[in-house]
Formats: sequence, C-alpha cells, structure tokens
Amino acid sequence: MPSPLLTVEALHVSYGRVDAVRDVSFEVPEGGLVALIGANGAGKSSVLGAVSGLVRPRSGAVRLDGEDITRRPVHRRVADGLVLVPEGRQILGSLTVAENLRLGAHRRRRQAAPEADMYRLFPVLDERRALPASALSGGEQQMLAIARAMIARPRVVLLDEPSMGLSPKMVDEVFTVIEKIRAQGVTVVLVEQNARRALRVADTGHVLETGALAHSGPASELLQHPKVVEAYLGIE
Amino acid sequence: MLQQLANGVFAGSIYALFAIGFTLVFGILRQLNLAHPAIFTAGAFVGIELATRLGLPMWALIPAVAAAGGLAGVLLERVAFRPLAGRDDEHFAGLISSVAFGGILIAALQARYGTEPQSFPTEYFPNRLFEFGGIGVTLMQLVTLGLALVLMLGLAWLVSSTPMGRAMRAVAENPRAAKVLGVNTGLVTSGTYALSSALGTVAGALLALNIGQADRDLGASIELIGFAVIIVGGLGSLWGAMAAGLILGVAEALTVTYFDSTWKGLVAFALLFAILVLRPRGLFGAVKVREV
Repeated sequence: MPSPLLTVEALHVSYGRVDAVRDVSFEVPEGGLVALIGANGAGKSSVLGAVSGLVRPRSGAVRLDGEDITRRPVHRRVADGLVLVPEGRQILGSLTVAENLRLGAHRRRRQAAPEADMYRLFPVLDERRALPASALSGGEQQMLAIARAMIARPRVVLLDEPSMGLSPKMVDEVFTVIEKIRAQGVTVVLVEQNARRALRVADTGHVLETGALAHSGPASELLQHPKVVEAYLGIE
Repeated sequence: MLQQLANGVFAGSIYALFAIGFTLVFGILRQLNLAHPAIFTAGAFVGIELATRLGLPMWALIPAVAAAGGLAGVLLERVAFRPLAGRDDEHFAGLISSVAFGGILIAALQARYGTEPQSFPTEYFPNRLFEFGGIGVTLMQLVTLGLALVLMLGLAWLVSSTPMGRAMRAVAENPRAAKVLGVNTGLVTSGTYALSSALGTVAGALLALNIGQADRDLGASIELIGFAVIIVGGLGSLWGAMAAGLILGVAEALTVTYFDSTWKGLVAFALLFAILVLRPRGLFGAVKVREV
C-alpha cells in the first residue's frame, strides 16, 4: 500500500466553545478523488479550512506526503502544492481575469505566460482576460477560481462547494472540469451539498454529521447506503 | 502671485509625500496609522544625524533615511498592529496603539536631542537660487519637488504594475482570497508599512532640509494638514493624495499672501469641508487602491 498523499488525523476544530469538527480522520491517496458530504453546518468547510491552513485546528494533524503541515502558513502550503478553491469563489473583482490568474501563478513566475495553459482549459476566460473579474457570470467566476488554483500546478486541490449557486448547465460544466482535473492526475478533495453528483465522480466518500464522520466508504457503496440515501440523496 | 503659487507647490509636494504613505496603509490594510506624523518627525532627525555625524551627502542621505524609515515601519506594524489582529476592536485598538508608538518615538527623540531644534550643517546643501520669469526657486525646492514626484509616480507604478503591487491589491480587496492564492499576507503587510514609513521619513527629511532644521513638533505641524490632504483626496487614493497635497499647499501659500498667516489653517480646512460637501468621497473617491 503506498502511503496516502494527504492525511487528516483526529482533527478537532472549534470556534470559541462551539465544536465544528470532532475527531475527523481520513486519507486521500495520490490521484484520488474524495468527497465530503453532509448538511449545511456539518463541518465540511471547517475541515477544508484546517487542511488549507485558513483555520487553526484545536488538535489533530494534517499531513502532506507524510510531513506534518498542521502549523504551516497558507502561502507555504500553496507552494507545497496544496491549494484551496474557497466557497463563494472569492474572486478579486477589481483585478482583471489575467491578474487573478497571475496571482495564482506564484510558483511559476519564471515562465513567460503561465496563463496560456489555463486559457486552453477554460476558453471562456481567454475571451475575457482583460476584463475585471467582477464582470464575469457566476459560472465563469467559478471557472476562474478553479483555473486560478490549477495554474499553481497543485498536487492536491480542495474544492469547497464549487457548484453552489450555479445554474444546472453550469453545474454540469463544473463537474466536467472536476473530471478533467482528476484526469491530469491531480488529487481532489471535494466538498459538496450536491451529494449525488459528488459521489458519482468520487472514489471515496465521507459523510459528516454535526462535525463527526458518520459514514465512510467507497463512493459507489455510499450511493446505495440506505441511511445515506435517505438523509442526503433522496429519491431521484 | 506666481511666486506664492510656486512656494505652494513645493510645500504641497511634501504634504503629498506625507499623505501617500498614510493613505497607502489605509488603502491596502484598512488601518489608520496615527504614528505616521512621528515617523515623519523621526525622518527629519535621522537625516540631520546622518548628515552631521557621518557627513553623508544628499544623494546617500535620502536612501539611508528611507531605509531607516522602512525598518521603523516594519517594527511599528509588528508591535502596534499585528498583535491586535483578530480582536473585535482591532481597528480602534490599532489607532490607540499607533498613537502610543508615535508618543514613544517622539519621547525617544526628545531624550536624545532635547527640545532644542537640530540643524543641518551650514552649507550642507548648495544654497543656489534660480529665476524663472521672476519666480525665485531654490535648488533644494527643485530637488524636493523632483524627488517627491519620482517617489509618488514610482509608488503608483509599483502598485499598478509589479507582482508585489498585484499582491497588495489582492490583499486590499480580499485578504482571505489573497491568502488562499498563496500570497504571503504577512510579508505584504510588512512591505506596505515599510513603504509607507519610508515615504514618511523622506518627507520629514525633505521638510527639514528645506527649512534647515527640525524640532520634535515638526510632525504636529504637518499632521492636520496632512490628514486633510488625505480626506480631500479620498482616503486610500494615491492620486487623490498627490493632487490634494498640491492643492492644499497652494491654497495655504495664497492665503498667507492675501490674508495673513493666521488664516492659513482656516482656509485649508474650509477647503476641506467645501470639497467634502461637494464630493463626499473626496476628489478621487472612485479611483482607489481598494474599491469600496
């Protein structure tokens, strides 16, 4: 068994007295796609916050390639290839599309036009590169957020609710992009409210309930699991 | 009249230089650094010290003062702002702690130099006078204006066109998003304070060079007019601070000519209120480092 690329061990996150995440552990193998699903406020984003470094966990550990990175600052994790696409996209609206991309390209600053690859992957951004990012539609902004993360050539991408607030057509596009990312060999951790779509693209799924892991297993099994179906998937 | 206009422009260029440093910190980090006038005063004393003790010539003096200012800025942010990050009252607390930092700095200057004004060595800078169509201009004034313009345009270029500037604008708009993109926000914060304080100290040294001396009230003399410049220009706007600095400098000079020097403050601040009534966000309220 090769050792996992990303390991979360007994993670605890609290905000003041409120425990957002309690004793969560899971592993993500290199090239894998792991989905975290659960209701609003179940702690999914807090897990990603701790993994990306935005949130300092109360206890527990995050390991990248076996190395403990729990206390490493965000910008160094990005340099190590661990990149978050935050919830709500967090596009820098006053900067142009190209500037947003270049900001993501810190690690590749010696290359002349690091954006070129991204424009190939996301043609819609190419057409809009000189516009302020605030001029993009919601779906386009999500594409920009993902492109901005991918331009750093990450090893692991953490996607926080990438389909939130998008039209069904854009949701399809986002999931197509997720599969493309995966096909490039990039490891993905996907947090989604759209549990069915997430489990369909994932290899492994974890269900969070009030901050703790309730169910874990191969995504295909979770899709059939009676309790998961009842609580999160419903009748199609 | 033209002579007063010219004098106003020279004074205004120092106001502008003072103001852009202050407004830069606000524009990028949303912090009001009330230690800026003390940093400005310290710049004047450091300049005098380096000129007297080490005999540094003018071309080396300004970079040395800027470097000292940069270090002071980094220290200031570390002790007066960074420890407060995340507190509910971080903005108000930062105001107070920066006032405290400024107070300590002024007290330290007084401990070292006493209350007497300190002077640059006589003949430190060639006291040459030029005449342009009846307007007398000293070499020092020309150097001041030139340096102020170069520094202000340089800062504008840095913010708009360099990777550091891009990172600064990203932090200004959304620190969290900037962090997620791998921007070292701690470094950007330190860098912003270093630049701001370097500009502040150079402004102080230039004022002292123009009047030949400095005392511990130098900062207090520019504080109010400097803050007026910032508000008139639109808080956080670099171009606004530059334009407003020149406008207030000229307004002050004209007041002194046509009324009396006691009216100086009154006219400058009346102008402040007039502009605020007409354009509540300041002259350049729309063109900011950070969008509102």
